[in-house]
Amino acid sequence: MIPGANKEEKKRNPRLEDIKDTAKLLVKNKLALTGLIISSFYIFFAILDVIYPQYLGVGPGVVTTLTRFTGPNIVLAPPTDPTFSKGWYYFLGTTYANIPLLPAMLAALYNDIWDSAIVVGSGAVIGILVGTFSGYFGKIVDELVMRITDIFFSIPYLIFAIIMVTVLARVFAADNITIPPLTIISVSLIVIWWPTYARLTRSITLSVKSQKFIEASTASGSSRVRNVVVHVIPNVLSPVFVQISLDIGNVILLFATLAFLPLTFLNLNEFTPELGSMISSSETYMLGPGWFSAVIPAVFLLIFTISINLFGDGLRDVLDPKLRR
Amino acid sequence: MITQEEIKTEQGKVPYIEVKNLVTRFFTSKGIVKALENVSFKIYPGEVYGLVGESGCGKSVTSTSIMDLIPDPPGRILDGEIFIDNFNILSDLKSLAKIKVRSETDVKIKRNKSAIKRHNFILSKIRGNKISMIFQEPFLALNPTISIGKQISEVILLHNIIGMADSIIKRETMKTTDVDELLEQLAEINDYSMRKKIINQWTRNFGIPDLEASITSLLDHVTDQKYVAEQIAHMIEENQREINIDRIKEIRDYYTIERKIFELTLNQIQFERTGEIKKAQEAKAKIRAYKAMSKKKYFKLRLEMRFFSKRVLAIFHKEARRRVLELLTLVNLAGPEVVIDEYPHELSGGMQQRAMIAMALASNPKMLIADEPTTALDVTTQAQILELIGELNKVMGMSVLFITHDLAVIAEMCNKVGVMYAGNIVEETTTEEIFNDPKHPYTVGLMNSLPRADKKREKELKFETIPGNVPNLITPPPGCRFHPRCKFAMDICSLKKPKLTEVSENHKVACFLYSNESEDDVA
Amino acid sequence: MELKYYIIRRLLVLIPTLLGLLLLTFILLDALPKSFLIEQFVNHKLPIPAQNLEKQQAITTLGLNLSPPEQFLIYVNNLIHGNWGFMYPNSEGYGSYYSGPVLAGIMEYFPVTLEIAIFAVIFSIVIAIPLGTYIGSKPNSVSDQVGRVFSLSGYAMPTFFLALVLQIAINPYFPSFISGQGYPSYTHLSWIKSISGTEVSTPTHMLVFDSLLHGDFSLAAVAFGHLVLPVLALSYGFLAGLLRFIRAGMVDASNQEYVKTARAKGVPEKQVLRKHVRKNALLPSITVFGLVFSGLLGGAVVIEEVYDLNGLGRFGLSTVSGGYIQFFGILGTTLFFGIVLVMANLIVDVLYALMDPRIRY
Repeated sequence: MIPGANKEEKKRNPRLEDIKDTAKLLVKNKLALTGLIISSFYIFFAILDVIYPQYLGVGPGVVTTLTRFTGPNIVLAPPTDPTFSKGWYYFLGTTYANIPLLPAMLAALYNDIWDSAIVVGSGAVIGILVGTFSGYFGKIVDELVMRITDIFFSIPYLIFAIIMVTVLARVFAADNITIPPLTIISVSLIVIWWPTYARLTRSITLSVKSQKFIEASTASGSSRVRNVVVHVIPNVLSPVFVQISLDIGNVILLFATLAFLPLTFLNLNEFTPELGSMISSSETYMLGPGWFSAVIPAVFLLIFTISINLFGDGLRDVLDPKLRR
Repeated sequence: MITQEEIKTEQGKVPYIEVKNLVTRFFTSKGIVKALENVSFKIYPGEVYGLVGESGCGKSVTSTSIMDLIPDPPGRILDGEIFIDNFNILSDLKSLAKIKVRSETDVKIKRNKSAIKRHNFILSKIRGNKISMIFQEPFLALNPTISIGKQISEVILLHNIIGMADSIIKRETMKTTDVDELLEQLAEINDYSMRKKIINQWTRNFGIPDLEASITSLLDHVTDQKYVAEQIAHMIEENQREINIDRIKEIRDYYTIERKIFELTLNQIQFERTGEIKKAQEAKAKIRAYKAMSKKKYFKLRLEMRFFSKRVLAIFHKEARRRVLELLTLVNLAGPEVVIDEYPHELSGGMQQRAMIAMALASNPKMLIADEPTTALDVTTQAQILELIGELNKVMGMSVLFITHDLAVIAEMCNKVGVMYAGNIVEETTTEEIFNDPKHPYTVGLMNSLPRADKKREKELKFETIPGNVPNLITPPPGCRFHPRCKFAMDICSLKKPKLTEVSENHKVACFLYSNESEDDVA
Repeated sequence: MELKYYIIRRLLVLIPTLLGLLLLTFILLDALPKSFLIEQFVNHKLPIPAQNLEKQQAITTLGLNLSPPEQFLIYVNNLIHGNWGFMYPNSEGYGSYYSGPVLAGIMEYFPVTLEIAIFAVIFSIVIAIPLGTYIGSKPNSVSDQVGRVFSLSGYAMPTFFLALVLQIAINPYFPSFISGQGYPSYTHLSWIKSISGTEVSTPTHMLVFDSLLHGDFSLAAVAFGHLVLPVLALSYGFLAGLLRFIRAGMVDASNQEYVKTARAKGVPEKQVLRKHVRKNALLPSITVFGLVFSGLLGGAVVIEEVYDLNGLGRFGLSTVSGGYIQFFGILGTTLFFGIVLVMANLIVDVLYALMDPRIRY
């Protein structure tokens, strides 16, 4: 439609140029930019906790349970108001059992972000491998993989997650293996999450496969595996990246929801550093003066999920060639 | 088709379309695409005007600009005048939006919503009515979820309600005297074809073309005038339906007021442009009065049309359907009764393009824009579609703006040709001249890139290509946009922009080889 | 006729999927320690011989004396004959959840879920279509950005938190008929009896529809009032999803060539949107309906838990909570959820085939 607009000859590395263009467009999209900035802030904390676990005192191996903040004697007590006189731990007051809200939230956030990143990351890797190879090789393998993903899509994933989590927790308990409840959830969610990516990558693989450069590459003696690795997977990456950015929020929500539900086999209690369980544990205070102890973690979570969704949505718009102009 | 001689003498005629200094830009994230630069041309009634050039030279932008269908964002017509049937559709261009260009990639456009609304109102009455368009890919241009018949009748229902209402009313209120009049008229004429024509016109006039055949045969075989009159009256009576005439009159009156409002709006815009503020205000006041009157008087009708438009306009839908069948037959679509209820995907490419043409003809426009109508079709279908368009031009006297990159098509179809390069018309002349005596180096290059057996120009018989590519229009070359690729480029070519000037009769070229006139001198 | 064959063909394809779902769940459950499953049946207060007897009975009822493939085949055979197994009351006296035949339990609990799902779907569609059409017709405008934040918040909002906020924090400010004070627990069928005083037949098992069928509008209003908050909480995510897809469909459809054709014909702007863009935008949105519906069913679990509604989600939850794993309960719930979702998808596909002239089945 626009004459001469796309005739520009690219002298530099086209992929690099593409990333630059994407970044430029993303900066122009105010909502996506806001989302990116806010979620980077959260992610920055999560990374900070790994590099300097002792810095905020909430990193991995430092806070495995919130009882760390309560001292040896756990006393269930109503939340207390925020105060600035007792140090930054108490800026947001305390929640049930005298746990200072702010560090507890940061510890929970750390767990939520990393666990969901692991779930989405491994799900994506498995999904990409399964999707691209089955899509490229086709035939029976493809048919089988598609039927299996069909099964996963034929039931709401929350239901499946509940069952998975319960069974896994029970199996490990019987074998006397102690595994943190959040790890159990992560493992279950990886099992549930890969089909999304397998489907996504398969459909892209099919369209890439029919293009001429694959034929050319095959004609010049490239093996099928090489074709997938060199040609198909790079093409799959950008939509997968969009999906990942949208899914991180989804998985965090799933973590919180599973922690909220009364799943007795999962040894999840009010001292598990997880935002969902913190919210459900302080649910009883919601009508009284301690309402903030439930609302603040929820809003804290909500801000992250909204911003990462805004970012992902903006990224999708920017990467979509149809909407690009 | 008009002959070459006629073109020479048509200077006194009024062009149906006149484009003056059209400037169209696209504001993209990479920069401003200068798609059209001061494009001017005229198309006279009955003429087939060809626009030719490489892809990306702005042919399609020109045609979409004439319809004012440039997608906004990113595109905009920035300047110029487009007269369609003596009305400048860009009269209110300046009031539509305020554009602030800070840099190539930073452009702020502030749109004036009410002005755009009025502009769109005006255009919706012009598009499809006075001028219509067919596109390169009929499959994409037809709505996949609406049947062919409904897509075509939509045009009729949009623009021809009043005409249909008149013929319905005439048919329903027909008296025996009307039949007698026909018989009297026929009594004096013995010529068979003439008689047929009169019967045809008469039936059409009264909205009963279905009865044409039976009336003709009746008149041919029976001589008893009284009996014939009785029979015709009987037939007509049978054809009359239980229709609420008052309702149709009401609808007709309502639409007449709408048309009045449209005409007044045209006046208002014209007065605004010429600066006659008082008259413009008068027109505005009138429009307001008409609108208030229409709202008050036809309150119930408007409400019903808003929610049950199909039921209210049922008779018109039926009439339109009959007209669609006629149109489908006119464009030689086989089996119109079947096609009318089919969906675009059920037709072949050629049939789709025929359906598009039927749609373009639906309200008898005087002008058809054909934007590469045959490019997406296979060769045999191409020829048929070209033939059809040529026939429509001859029979109905419709002007055609024909856009193509195919010089052979130009040779076959057009009277007059404009050659476009990078957003400019570089040469404009008759079809004969362009092939016999191309002047602009670009046109010469185009001709030479054609393998052809033309004895006159044996020197250039060999197959040549123009070096280089169409320039990037975000940063077009300064001066003449063709100079980087031109064999004859001089110093002046990169400094000044040549103006399209008449170098011989009916032959305009924009090149310093032939004339020293430059656009920059005027400004 | 063609449509009938299309549906039959689709149904035949669904059977292997559902069987696969069952098999997957079965394999998962098979990993559970057998001793644990058996222990659940044993009342430890009884003398040892009695306990042993109970263990023996448990082994036979669960079919643990057979090999896993045999167990599965027998289970599937029973399924076909309408025997979906039993949910057993915990011998320790834990009995607040359903016990009895699984199928009967599902049939008793499902109408509640269906009821809120129906209202949530209707509510979402009624809001999403006009709103999505509107914001989709003005991409990148302020209203589009507001719509974007609104719908992305729907994705990002934890359902349980929204439900809690509506239930605990905002409920007191709602009109009393919505807050439903005085009916703290919604016990389904006993409630209808107690209100109307007499025993009534309940053809749909859904209070709102039953009372409407009986012409008892005040009861219908009360029952509907009870549903308002759960439906609102459940709808948000679903509505957000639909809104996003409709908006994308609108943007996509408005850029199509036939929209240009419509303008070239002289169709006024409003009519272009109404006649040419909207239908083509909504059609593809139909296909994603099933995907979003899956999220809605998942959300029902949370909503029912927060609002104390005895629906299928809660039924499913009860099969794994309370220190007790209901082997057949889990299988039955999984299968039923699978059937509901798969049928919803089928209905959507049939609707799509009916509405899009391009699809030939």
